[in-house]
Amino acid sequence: MAEMTASVAKPVTVKAVDLKHQPGFSVVAWTCLIVLYAPIAVLVLFSFNENRSVALWTRFSFDWYVKAWNNEGIQNAAIISFEVALVAMVASTIMATMAALVTTRTAPYRGLNLAVTIINQPLMVPEIVTAVATLTFFAIIKKATGVTGLGYLIIAHTVFCIPFAYMPIRARLEDMDLSLEQAAADLYAPPLKVFRRITLPLLMPGIMAGAMLAFIVSLDDVIITLFVGGPGETTLPIFILGQIRRGVTPEVNAVSTVFLGFSVVFVTLIFLFGKNKK
Amino acid sequence: MKNILLSIITATSLVLAGSASAAGELHIYNWGNYTNPEMIKKFEAANDIKVTLDSYDSNETMLAKVEQGGSGYDVVVPGDYMIAIMLKKDLLEKVMPNQMSNFKNMDPKWVNVYWDKGRNYSVPYQWGTTSFQVDTTVYKGDINTLKLLYDPPKELQGRINMLNDMNDVINAGLRYLGYPRCNSNKAQLKELNTLLLSAKKHWRTMDYSTIEKLTSKDVDLSQNWNGAAMRARAQRPELEYAYPKEGFTGWMDNVAVLKGAPNVENAKLFMNFMMDPENAAMTSNFARYANGVMGSEKYMEAAMKSAPEIIIPASAPAPEFVPPCDQDVVALYTKIWTNLKK
Repeated sequence: MAEMTASVAKPVTVKAVDLKHQPGFSVVAWTCLIVLYAPIAVLVLFSFNENRSVALWTRFSFDWYVKAWNNEGIQNAAIISFEVALVAMVASTIMATMAALVTTRTAPYRGLNLAVTIINQPLMVPEIVTAVATLTFFAIIKKATGVTGLGYLIIAHTVFCIPFAYMPIRARLEDMDLSLEQAAADLYAPPLKVFRRITLPLLMPGIMAGAMLAFIVSLDDVIITLFVGGPGETTLPIFILGQIRRGVTPEVNAVSTVFLGFSVVFVTLIFLFGKNKK
Repeated sequence: MKNILLSIITATSLVLAGSASAAGELHIYNWGNYTNPEMIKKFEAANDIKVTLDSYDSNETMLAKVEQGGSGYDVVVPGDYMIAIMLKKDLLEKVMPNQMSNFKNMDPKWVNVYWDKGRNYSVPYQWGTTSFQVDTTVYKGDINTLKLLYDPPKELQGRINMLNDMNDVINAGLRYLGYPRCNSNKAQLKELNTLLLSAKKHWRTMDYSTIEKLTSKDVDLSQNWNGAAMRARAQRPELEYAYPKEGFTGWMDNVAVLKGAPNVENAKLFMNFMMDPENAAMTSNFARYANGVMGSEKYMEAAMKSAPEIIIPASAPAPEFVPPCDQDVVALYTKIWTNLKK
């Protein structure tokens, strides 16, 4: 205790702390990396296993990829997953962009903080609560109107994707220099033109990042989808979940590996896209 | 950006328009990896009905989803106790399968069951037993006793996987102690609690993925369902399925129709279809459990007909089908279970 007060009392002048050279940094970093990526490596490895076990290696083969490709359940689930994720991504990104503009490019107004809180609400409420509430709410609408279909699932996904798309867009807007937009306005550019020629292009990296996050979050979702999804609306995570009780086969590994490959390509494209813009 | 948007919209509308048009529809909600796709194709072709198939991972998930109504599903496949619960909640349509043409194929021993006396609501889908499986090269003694789970010999200590299932673990424990099921006797439950806690230190894991646990040699004994046991034995031939003398659980999943289902008539067609021996055998060959339809044996794979996991030996006790317990018993069980899991 005495030592602590002593060290607080005497201000120490240090150069900028280099985190990389702190004791134990590499141990912690490597542990994190291994814990994060080793299971994925194992998953990928066993997708090439000839045996039907996901734990016992026998021989290399592509059998599970062929089987997964021909499995109608997986095909349908993949199509539904991408459909929902794409539509939810576009819808939530558009709404998140508008929301970000309204919460940064205006003079502060009463209820601004409240608005931000409401936009981010899906991040704070436990997902299971949203899921059960949405299920009940949609059940009432379905019974009253007789309207069914994929729309319900897309709406639910759009809602919880909005905050994920919103955060990077808002962060980008807050970082952007206002003077460019002011200069354009000074030169008599109408607001819409300022938005299209100045704000939107500068905001694009934020929008892309937000869209990507929304896409991945929608693709990943289990709990809300499990409750809200109707007949013929099984997404890939739900399909995989359903397999567990009856035995997981490397088919699931094969699908996951393809998914992983897809998101790596996706991230790389976004990265290259962002680079070219500069 | 405009082009991307356009192509997304086009792709989406193509996919949405892509669904084939058939005379009728049927929405089936079943356990995952439990429905033979060939059987579904056969049903679709025979009746000109388009089937959608979705999956769940537990009876409770299914119940949560259909309880609100308006789920859109026609056919569900609940376990025996879940049929009883759903009937109590008035969630199933009285479709009278006992009046259907293929009802004559149903094994009479599955007609007057506790969950649906006389079969006014449901027909058998698959049935099986829940017991455990042991590597007989690791443990060479008599395996037909629950002692191996609750007071294991040295060679099995720390090599055991239990199902992560309150009822399966507690019921087996009650059988080992010789006490009745759905038990609310505080003294007996106290004894059970002590037993479970002392046995727990010999358990390596409590997990549903029994096949993976056994075939990866992570454990040498696991509580298991008989169909899963058969699959595990295919990869680890030393495994033997036990029929403990203290008793073991039987279960049956049943085809039932939801109240207010959009396609009740098609669902009835499906129910009748499932009582045809050839179709029931298609399901058995896929899911690896027995089906309760007479005459299906001759369409079953040879490996199924001789499997010691499927054919219960004459010396074994009859499987016990455990009805859902009262609310207060469930509360007591939950307390024991929570205490065990912490």
